[in-house]
Amino acid sequence: MRDVHVSFGGVKAVDGMHLDLYPGEVVALVGGNGAGKTTLIKTLAGAQRMDSGQILMEGEPVTIEGPKDAKEKGIETIYQTLALAENIDAPGNVFLGREVTTRLGNLDEGAMEDRTRAVMKRLNPHFENFAVPVASLSGGQRQSVAIARAVEFNARVLIMDEPTAALGPAESEQVRDLIRRLREEGIGIFLISHDIHDVYDLADRITVMLQGEHVSTVSKKDVTIDQVLAMIILGKRSEDLDESDIASLH
Amino acid sequence: MSRFRYLAWLTVLAMLLAACGGNGDDVGDDAADDAADEAAGDDAGDDAGDEAEGDGPVIGVSWNNFQEERWPTWDEPAIQEALEDFGASYISTDASSSAEQQIEDVQNLITQGAEALIVLAQDGTAILPAVESALEQGIPVIAYDRLIEAEEALYITFDNVEVGRMQAREIYERVPEGNYVFIKGNQADANADFLRSGQAEVLEDAVEAGDIQNVGESYTDNWDPTIAQRNMEQFLTENDNDVDAVVASNDGTAGGVIAALESQGLAGEVPVSGQDADGAALNRVALGTQTVSVWKDARDLGYRAGEAAVLLAEGTALEDIPDSVTFDSPGGNQLTSLLLEPIPITQENLDLVVDAGWISEEELCQGVEPGTVDVCG
Amino acid sequence: MAETETRTEASTTTPESSSSDPRRSVRSLLRATEVDTRLIGLLLGLAAIWIGFNYMSGGTFLSPRNLWNLSVQFAAVATMASGMVLVIVSRNIDLSVGSMLATIATAMALLQSEILPELLGFDHAATWIIALLAGVVLGALIGAFQGVIIAYVGVPAFIVTLGGLLVWRGVAFLMASGRTIAPLDSTFRLIGGGSAGAIGGGWSWFLAGVACVAIIALIVNNRRMRRRYGLKLRPVWAEITVGGILCGAVLIGVGTLNRYYMPESLARSYAESRGIAWPEGGLDIPMGLAYPVLIVIAIALLMTFIANRRRFGRYVYAIGGNPEAAQLAGVNTRWTTVKIFTLMGMLVAVAAAIQSARLNAAVSGMGQLNELYVIAAAVIGGTSLAGGVGTIAGAMLGALVMQSLQSGMVLMGVDAPLQTVVVGIVLVLAVAIDAYYQRRAK
Repeated sequence: MRDVHVSFGGVKAVDGMHLDLYPGEVVALVGGNGAGKTTLIKTLAGAQRMDSGQILMEGEPVTIEGPKDAKEKGIETIYQTLALAENIDAPGNVFLGREVTTRLGNLDEGAMEDRTRAVMKRLNPHFENFAVPVASLSGGQRQSVAIARAVEFNARVLIMDEPTAALGPAESEQVRDLIRRLREEGIGIFLISHDIHDVYDLADRITVMLQGEHVSTVSKKDVTIDQVLAMIILGKRSEDLDESDIASLH
Repeated sequence: MSRFRYLAWLTVLAMLLAACGGNGDDVGDDAADDAADEAAGDDAGDDAGDEAEGDGPVIGVSWNNFQEERWPTWDEPAIQEALEDFGASYISTDASSSAEQQIEDVQNLITQGAEALIVLAQDGTAILPAVESALEQGIPVIAYDRLIEAEEALYITFDNVEVGRMQAREIYERVPEGNYVFIKGNQADANADFLRSGQAEVLEDAVEAGDIQNVGESYTDNWDPTIAQRNMEQFLTENDNDVDAVVASNDGTAGGVIAALESQGLAGEVPVSGQDADGAALNRVALGTQTVSVWKDARDLGYRAGEAAVLLAEGTALEDIPDSVTFDSPGGNQLTSLLLEPIPITQENLDLVVDAGWISEEELCQGVEPGTVDVCG
Repeated sequence: MAETETRTEASTTTPESSSSDPRRSVRSLLRATEVDTRLIGLLLGLAAIWIGFNYMSGGTFLSPRNLWNLSVQFAAVATMASGMVLVIVSRNIDLSVGSMLATIATAMALLQSEILPELLGFDHAATWIIALLAGVVLGALIGAFQGVIIAYVGVPAFIVTLGGLLVWRGVAFLMASGRTIAPLDSTFRLIGGGSAGAIGGGWSWFLAGVACVAIIALIVNNRRMRRRYGLKLRPVWAEITVGGILCGAVLIGVGTLNRYYMPESLARSYAESRGIAWPEGGLDIPMGLAYPVLIVIAIALLMTFIANRRRFGRYVYAIGGNPEAAQLAGVNTRWTTVKIFTLMGMLVAVAAAIQSARLNAAVSGMGQLNELYVIAAAVIGGTSLAGGVGTIAGAMLGALVMQSLQSGMVLMGVDAPLQTVVVGIVLVLAVAIDAYYQRRAK
């Protein structure tokens, strides 16, 4: 993503952001509330128009005008809200907007349930409620449905906005496991999280944002968890941090 | 008023075009509305400018809604004709169904020099203060077709109780004993009960003697023919088709009743009454499926109102208006009234409506087999 | 028809009924057959209304003739209710249907009684189809027009259709200058039922047979599909029970309606036209299913299919469940909204055809308050005004409940004002009971 600008009214939500992602890599996007992380990522997902800027995939500029464009290009998103239609069952949600149809254009419920079962086996083997509206599922199960929707279609880029925020410890661990596995499958993942431990645990690189601007991108192996924290809070580049900054956090 | 129908079609067309164009603003809507307003305004305006010759009094007419077909088609020309005959001149306003507007209209007419007013009230209560103020200024007022509860005003209308009597009389003549169904009008409309009381008056004795059984009676919401149809279907079911006559209060409800009878193969066998002399109803009378439609010739009403207005403007006292009677109003007032006699139209006198130009022979005789009805050849 | 269905349901013994608690066995039956409990509740309510009226009317209410009447009377509102379900499911509302009905009916009537006769002559063979198609196209355009304002301009559906309620009533009046337009084309009139608008006993039995075969084929096919993907199957006994009940209901329903015979004078002319001698005791010629009833059945099936088996239907429910999610999933929510209202307009046109054909006339006052009856039918049928929930079958039953109440009360001599009082109370009561059970179920 090159030089992305988004503003709402006069407020610049994203102001000249650059962001790179390579296959098989997890890039964490961190920053305080209102730093513009979600807005930035929404432009990639097609849920938010950018005022200016460019998105390149494998070096080629692409235009993303809506969620459909993004999905066609292999960019899948798991929103913090999960964005599930509560009144529809799991297969219906997984395939929403991309229904499998028979030759006559009728919904092929059997095929969709079949494929949902297959993908769920990978994500959450205990999942069994395929025929009930997702409203009646637990938080972790709903999360599984949202993830299944993203991975079912061979995503190349996966965007995860706060994937563990609503989950208990065991379920969070499941999601972390999954992220590692997907990374091994060669998918590039953008991870947005407030949980600094998650970030430090999972990310290969960490990009820090402050007030819509790019602060710094660092390789995880070059920094300590305290340094990341300091970058988020103080908005300084890692090389500008000194001992006193770290100390001031404690 | 084919112009209005043309406009309506234009409205539909404009909306459709707007829809096809895919732009969402209701251009079509506004344009058509404006056009309709303009058309209505034009009419009223032209008429106001159309000062008839002669040095008789100026008569002001306040219409409540000139877009309704009846008023410009039948009533207005008749009033104008009367005024011309008596050398008076005509000015008018249109309140477009607004009671507030009509209050202003009445004042405007007085300002314009009206020496007598004919008021077709949108709301008989709301208009009362304006009417009273006119009366206080010495300007006589005629309540035209709709009641205004002002004692000094002249109330001119068709006798609705008499309409009810005529309906019942025509049916009773054909079915002096048997099972009767009564399809009444909208309950909220005082006329519905006037009609019913007239019907009751005629049939009273036969009912008491047990010759006539009332086997079904219901009001009809909004005079809606589909509701009348449903009610009639239920009465037929309840009585296992043992219904000998139906007293329906107007032509719309009669249409619903006849549709219900038709699906039981009884249309034409069971006499049905109505009123208004609707085109469709007169056609049914010619076909023999409806027995009678009571005709209230609006031209008669208009002419008599014009005539009375001139007399009043020239200083004739209310009681001295020819044929005036005292009418006890529902509001407890004793109103001086002209109650016109309607005419029951049956197959025997269909020539009346054709000769009067009320309906064309073609419309009247659609589907009528030759040789069955005189007027249809 | 529906009453019998419930009765059979309750008395069916199940493999589990050996357990001591009969309530549990009924519940497990319902679970195994995956029947919507809400529909069962509605059927019970309907049964109560029917039995109550039948008792109070001394057996007239459940007579074949009255049920036949009922089936024809409920057709127009039921047709519109099937579309209103989708409108409400997608978190919209359409208050304009009653007025639209008047406009479309007037347009169709003018076409057949004034415009086409000049071009083709009165009662020309093609008149009815031209008029009907023109009406459906007009309905689609009006619906699309309102839908575009709602979806693309962003005016709430309530406001747009409230405007429509006023506009289309006025247009209906202006088009005909308030006249009654009659008579209509004689073929067109068959759409409304009436004396000739039914298919007779033989065809009715034939269709009932076809319906039975179709029900069985659907069940078998569904089973095969599920087996192919190795999905969980319902127990065989449950499949047979469901198939048996549905099939039985169809047969009993048609059998009942077929016991409504032609009124004598019609039967006489029927016999005459076929050269059948008129016997001493008269002839019992079944009327059979009326055309409007066939139209409603076809529409209910089609709409159920659209709602459950087509992308469009899926999107309607997704929008109702979570509009944002639907949009993020790539659903074109605005275009879907336009399509919903277009479909609604087309169904209003069908209802307008039924209504005007039945009356053999069009008047500008037609369809007054129909918007409320249609919405009430959908809501009584379990459609949630919060969106996302509702079934076509439920709305059909809701319409039947509404019509049963109205016809029943006329039969009992209850006058118009009290009728509206009762209908209003039943509407609120039905939704209140539903809300209570929904809450308890959670």
